[in-house]
Amino acid sequence: MADDSRGGFAALDPCVHCGFCLPACPTYLATGDEADSPRGRILLMRALERGELRADDPALGQHLDACLGCRGCEGACPSGVGYGRGLESARERITATVGLPAAARFVLGIFARRRWWRPAVTMARWFRETGLARRFRGPTRTGFLFGMLDATTPDRPEPTPRPPRARSAPRGTVALFRGCVMDGLFDHVHEATRRTLIVNGYTVVEVEGQVCCGALHDHAGDRAAARALARRNVAAFLGQADWIVVNSAGCGALLKDLGHLLGSPEAEALGRSVRDVTELLAAAGPVTGGPVELEACYDPPCHLQHAQRVHREPLAVLDAIPGLRLRQLPGADRCCGSAGIYGALHPEMSRAVLDEKVAAIAAASPPPDVVLTGNPGCLMQIGAGLGAADLPIPVAHPVELLDRSYRAAGWYDPASPS
Amino acid sequence: MSGADPDLVRALGAIVGPRWVKIRDAERRTYEADGLPTHASVPMVAVLPGSKAEVIAIVRLLHERRVAWVARGAGTGLSGGALADAETVLIPLTRMNKILGIDPTARRAVIEPGVVNARLSEAAAPFGLGYAPDPSSQAACTIGGNVAENAGGPHCLKYGATTAHVVALEVVLPDGSLATLGCPQGEPWGPDLVGLFVGSEGMFGIALEITVRLEPVPAAVRTLLADFGSVRAATESVGAIIASGIVPAALELLDQACVRAVEASIYAAGYPTDAAAVLLVELDGTRAAVEAETMMVERFLTEAGARTIRSAETAEARARLWQGRKKAFGAMGRIAPDLVVQDAVVPRSALPDVLDTITEVGRRYDLTIANVFHAGDGNLHPNICYDHRDLALRERVHRASKEIMEACVAAGGSITGEHGVGADKMEYMPLIFDPTSLATMCAVRRAFDPAERANPRKVVPTRYCREWRPEPIR
Ligand SMILES: Cc1cc2nc3c(=O)[nH]c(=O)nc-3n(C[C@H](O)[C@H](O)[C@H](O)COP(=O)(O)OP(=O)(O)OC[C@H]3O[C@@H](n4cnc5c(N)ncnc54)[C@H](O)[C@@H]3O)c2cc1C
Ligand code: SF4
Ligand code: SF4
Repeated sequence: MADDSRGGFAALDPCVHCGFCLPACPTYLATGDEADSPRGRILLMRALERGELRADDPALGQHLDACLGCRGCEGACPSGVGYGRGLESARERITATVGLPAAARFVLGIFARRRWWRPAVTMARWFRETGLARRFRGPTRTGFLFGMLDATTPDRPEPTPRPPRARSAPRGTVALFRGCVMDGLFDHVHEATRRTLIVNGYTVVEVEGQVCCGALHDHAGDRAAARALARRNVAAFLGQADWIVVNSAGCGALLKDLGHLLGSPEAEALGRSVRDVTELLAAAGPVTGGPVELEACYDPPCHLQHAQRVHREPLAVLDAIPGLRLRQLPGADRCCGSAGIYGALHPEMSRAVLDEKVAAIAAASPPPDVVLTGNPGCLMQIGAGLGAADLPIPVAHPVELLDRSYRAAGWYDPASPS
Repeated sequence: MSGADPDLVRALGAIVGPRWVKIRDAERRTYEADGLPTHASVPMVAVLPGSKAEVIAIVRLLHERRVAWVARGAGTGLSGGALADAETVLIPLTRMNKILGIDPTARRAVIEPGVVNARLSEAAAPFGLGYAPDPSSQAACTIGGNVAENAGGPHCLKYGATTAHVVALEVVLPDGSLATLGCPQGEPWGPDLVGLFVGSEGMFGIALEITVRLEPVPAAVRTLLADFGSVRAATESVGAIIASGIVPAALELLDQACVRAVEASIYAAGYPTDAAAVLLVELDGTRAAVEAETMMVERFLTEAGARTIRSAETAEARARLWQGRKKAFGAMGRIAPDLVVQDAVVPRSALPDVLDTITEVGRRYDLTIANVFHAGDGNLHPNICYDHRDLALRERVHRASKEIMEACVAAGGSITGEHGVGADKMEYMPLIFDPTSLATMCAVRRAFDPAERANPRKVVPTRYCREWRPEPIR
């Protein structure tokens, strides 16, 4: 069974067809069709591997494409099936035969090229800053896109704070992974990440020459593009810091898996030094700041809980905020339907999956003041869903709240005693 | 593409919308198996109705066209029951998953058949109520499937299997007519038709609306985990507990192979991996009763030779102990890629000897057999782990399964405790029923379905039906 030529397909072998993964799968819950279930997709992938179904079979492609790649199924599987590995190999084989769909090629191309990406971000920020994004957000397809953009707005403009100082023992250096969407639209989250890490004793360094992590390309089956980006990141980050800190769960999952993607010892070593920001903060305590009196709901991103298996740390970070009343709503552990560029390619399924989450938030009592999640795609997706449902609830990254707590403690005030 | 008549496909599409008629090879293939993938069969078409009216229209259409069909829930069945072949239409009911109403005063719930078992208890929890039958598959299986299989579960020792909890059913019969069986208030006059339908394995029609009893959540619950140096000692303690008159809410046994698989999985429950067997005992009721029974049970366990006894009282600690048991079957994938789960019942007093026989059969055929079962009811689940790519091994597995079944029957047991007969156990039916009984079963089936179009070629071996006379056992 340890046959390397089988690639990720071998990871599907332990599946005993018990069906425990069905209720964990957002697409199966949305359609009730086993072709949209993990167990059904495993049958399809096995048939693909054995050559019983062709890589260009449209029905096979449709149902594997409709998979969010959220790996919620792995989190429910008692048998330890490596669904994600299998999917990766299946998608690679399909892409090698039929190529990427034109829409996917276009979207992915934007992420991979600075000269397309920069103007796209500038335009997006213009829509956001002029308030047009908020004005046009709504339930239609275009309205939803504007809603996603609007969801990236920092929760309130603050005067530029004074750089903080450490309030904990020194813990080593970290290099911030900036990413593409995070860097373009969530620079406020990067700021919060830097400040909170500094307070907790870390030295944050900036690394030049870094690029998009390539997770979106990898998930779509374009491994060549993913590898090319990964190589540039390895070159940029190697030897720069003790850890690479990531505040986007999707990027973190890919970067932790660099060894698997590239197969080189450097990539392996670098992958091992990758941490989600909440892991580093939790390792430091984190330091307790001032009160933030809010009702908050936490929604763990799939790429944090299933792909990285990080469960406790984000909660530990939020628990360190005095006054914060934290809840997880029913179905919080299920995918929001964002899943990288999935929302752009399969808007109908994506929205069907999101609707359940928005309904749970709408039904929550008391209503939350903020919904927290640690991934840009999820922030935009849930934010847009709330916008479409006319629920005036902002979304935020957990470190933004910790940052707010430190601000409340006065640690960023120019006047604060050092 | 499927060999389905295009005209039939169009007619089905007109009922449910073309999107819900699955004719492409890849799509049909995802329905080729249930929880027992040793049986595989690709349906001619899968059609997914979204409402009661659509199910009725489908069944009527198929009746008119003389096409056979099979209902399906979540496909977690363990007897190959929810499978359709190239001439048969499969009707998954998963889209019909609404809880239609909960009446906390009358303690009743009315649900569609596709509601997942665990969802009902969750929905009833705010009223202090729950749905008692809890098959280990409850996170995934549907109540429609539970009704068809008369599903049991760990807590059915005290509370009874599905049949004790269904009070009324609205069903569409194989000719497309609608019937209401039972009545929500309780016992109706005349024969117990609900009892007849529950456990009919999809042969008598499709349950469209199910009215079930809800039970108050007990005031106190205590779960004990005892570990033993031998399986025999563990099973003997089961006998002692039951003989004392205590009825635990659940009494479950896992042997070492099973414990190790669970402990290696994400559902690790903290079971000691060096124990030959662990026993889970749950007691519930009023606080005082639970206290008193706990003391007695602890004494029986110690007397039978329990090495340690752990007690869990908080909901989280209990849930963790139970997770391991409930996911045990799935965790077997860690031992080998394939698995046959057997299901047999023996008198409790015969448990120690039958388990010895199973161990001996395993040794003789050189197979890993892991046992996890409802010890309180004597309902055994030997899991035989193997790799289907090894043909010789497959043959050994088949022979060993058969020997185990025969041993259970010889000990005064039966060939299925809760998973049903389906396609898998048909060959064992003549082991426990004489030809007259089998012929009678056929007669009942024909009363509902003269043409045998609902779940054809399952449960009762056809030869007993076709030839309407007693026939010697093979
Ligand atoms: C890990 C695991 C653990 C299990 N543990 C238990 C256990 O503890 N106890 C137990 O009893 N079983 C257990 N089972 C077996 C299985 O879960 C049950 O038999 C369950 O009732 C099947 O439900 P389903 O929705 O998956 O039905 P399916 O497997 O889809 O169908 C089962 C049968 O029901 C029929 N059917 C489905 N819906 C309807 C309907 N609405 N009307 C009429 N007929 C219908 C089908 O035709 C088929 O014959 C277990 C299975 C697994 C995989
Ligand atoms: S839970 Fe795991 S073993 Fe069970 S069907 Fe799903 S993938 Fe297969
Ligand atoms: S990865 Fe997510 S969407 Fe895909 S099969 Fe698993 S649970 Fe379903």
